[in-house]
Amino acid sequence: MNAEFDTLMARAGIAIPDDRRPALLAAFVDLRAALALLEDAEAEPAHVFRPDPLGGG
Amino acid sequence: MNTPGAAAKAAIRRINAVDHLLDAFITVTPARAMAEARMVEARLAEGGAPGLLAGVPYALKDIYDTAGIRTTCHSKLREEHVPAADCHVAERLRLAGALLVGKTGTHEFAIGGPSFDLPFPPPRNPWNREHVPGGSSSGSAAAVASGMVRFAMGSDTGGSIRHPAAYCGVVGLKPSYGRVSRRGVFPLAWSMDHCGPLAATVRDAALALQVVAGHDPLDPGSAEVAVGDYLSHLEAGVAGLRIGIPRGWFAAQPGADPEALTAIDHTADVLREAGARVEDVALPDYALFSAAGRVILHAEAFAVHRNALRTRPQDYGRVAFQRLALGATLTAADLLQAQRKRRELTDAVNTQLARYDALLTANVLIPAPRFDTQPDAMASGAPVQMIQFNLTGHPALALPTGLHSNGLPLGVQLAGRRFDEATLLRIGRAVERNSGWEQCPRPPLYQA
Repeated sequence: MNAEFDTLMARAGIAIPDDRRPALLAAFVDLRAALALLEDAEAEPAHVFRPDPLGGG
Repeated sequence: MNTPGAAAKAAIRRINAVDHLLDAFITVTPARAMAEARMVEARLAEGGAPGLLAGVPYALKDIYDTAGIRTTCHSKLREEHVPAADCHVAERLRLAGALLVGKTGTHEFAIGGPSFDLPFPPPRNPWNREHVPGGSSSGSAAAVASGMVRFAMGSDTGGSIRHPAAYCGVVGLKPSYGRVSRRGVFPLAWSMDHCGPLAATVRDAALALQVVAGHDPLDPGSAEVAVGDYLSHLEAGVAGLRIGIPRGWFAAQPGADPEALTAIDHTADVLREAGARVEDVALPDYALFSAAGRVILHAEAFAVHRNALRTRPQDYGRVAFQRLALGATLTAADLLQAQRKRRELTDAVNTQLARYDALLTANVLIPAPRFDTQPDAMASGAPVQMIQFNLTGHPALALPTGLHSNGLPLGVQLAGRRFDEATLLRIGRAVERNSGWEQCPRPPLYQA
């Protein structure tokens, strides 16, 4: 996770000060856990995705 | 008779007397308020219509552009920024006769706070100054709760109107996505940003919405949907309406205060006694709404701030930097998964709102915490539940309903069908009238 975090930040060109790294890394781990909840694309009916995120509601 | 000029002077005097205790305002604007008061007085002298908000002092969150008045986003990066033109909302309020008395403090760029490492101090909670007012529309909530203004405009991307409204015991309305123009308001996340009022009462929130709602062709997210009548049916009651409670969202929320859960049940009883049919409903887990919402918010916010994060990282406060830089870790695949889930979850809410007139649910599940307990990160699992309606675009109303045994406000959240703010406000008024809130004491600093 540490290496992935460093790679992604470097790719984005963001320099993380040492004193801000622990909190940001913890938030990254938490966000990755949230993302895992969303990864069920193969179970979805194809019509769920529409380019307009809110549609006509 | 209290003339517009007298109302402006009284509001400025009150701000000058109280705000050093609350830091709700970054900039007080007496010259602007008096100029707008003179416009209203001239209109009245000519026999013209005074406007729906004639002579009513109000405040704008300091991410709303104001011509010739600095608009700082509570950040060193825009400390000296002075816009050339008003935002769309300020234009509408001026035409309705309202008087701008100041610009209110926020979390930095509506995401990083409360913070003590910024050019301006964080606003404080009028109920207890050692406790946070919530955010990010912190100063707007504190200004209304202390009686400095009857209403103030805020913005809401993940709860930033409703969160401070709950902690400060005021009404907070996040309208439908597209209902109020965001033109001239600094963005946090384009597809999640909403502008709306915080107000002392449901009626004041309705008045403000009546003025600021409407299509603006210069905001690409603005909807061409007719504006409702938010005032005529406010007192119509809830007899015959159907209210759903998505209890699965909040019943087992870790960290929830039992008194906050009781406040929801109390509100359900109030609605039943007033003639509504109230039932539990099933919706997908709140964790899914939160996950999709956070991914989209962080991705879009990073897109807004990417260049400044690279070139001026030292000028962000610690909290804003950490929250905004997190978006750099997201990939295109992550964002697409969140957008796909967004549609699925929006459809689920629409399905329930085809059967029910509104949903009654939690807002914050704790009373306002102390400043020294605030986390830096926007973590999952926190006892706050508001981002679901930024994700889906449904209108949502934060309402105070009573006081916690520690003396701080408690409340609930109502959500309704897209663009049906009129029904939402009508239900809100019934809760306000019958919950006992109007008989509760006001904050120590309050003065009407």
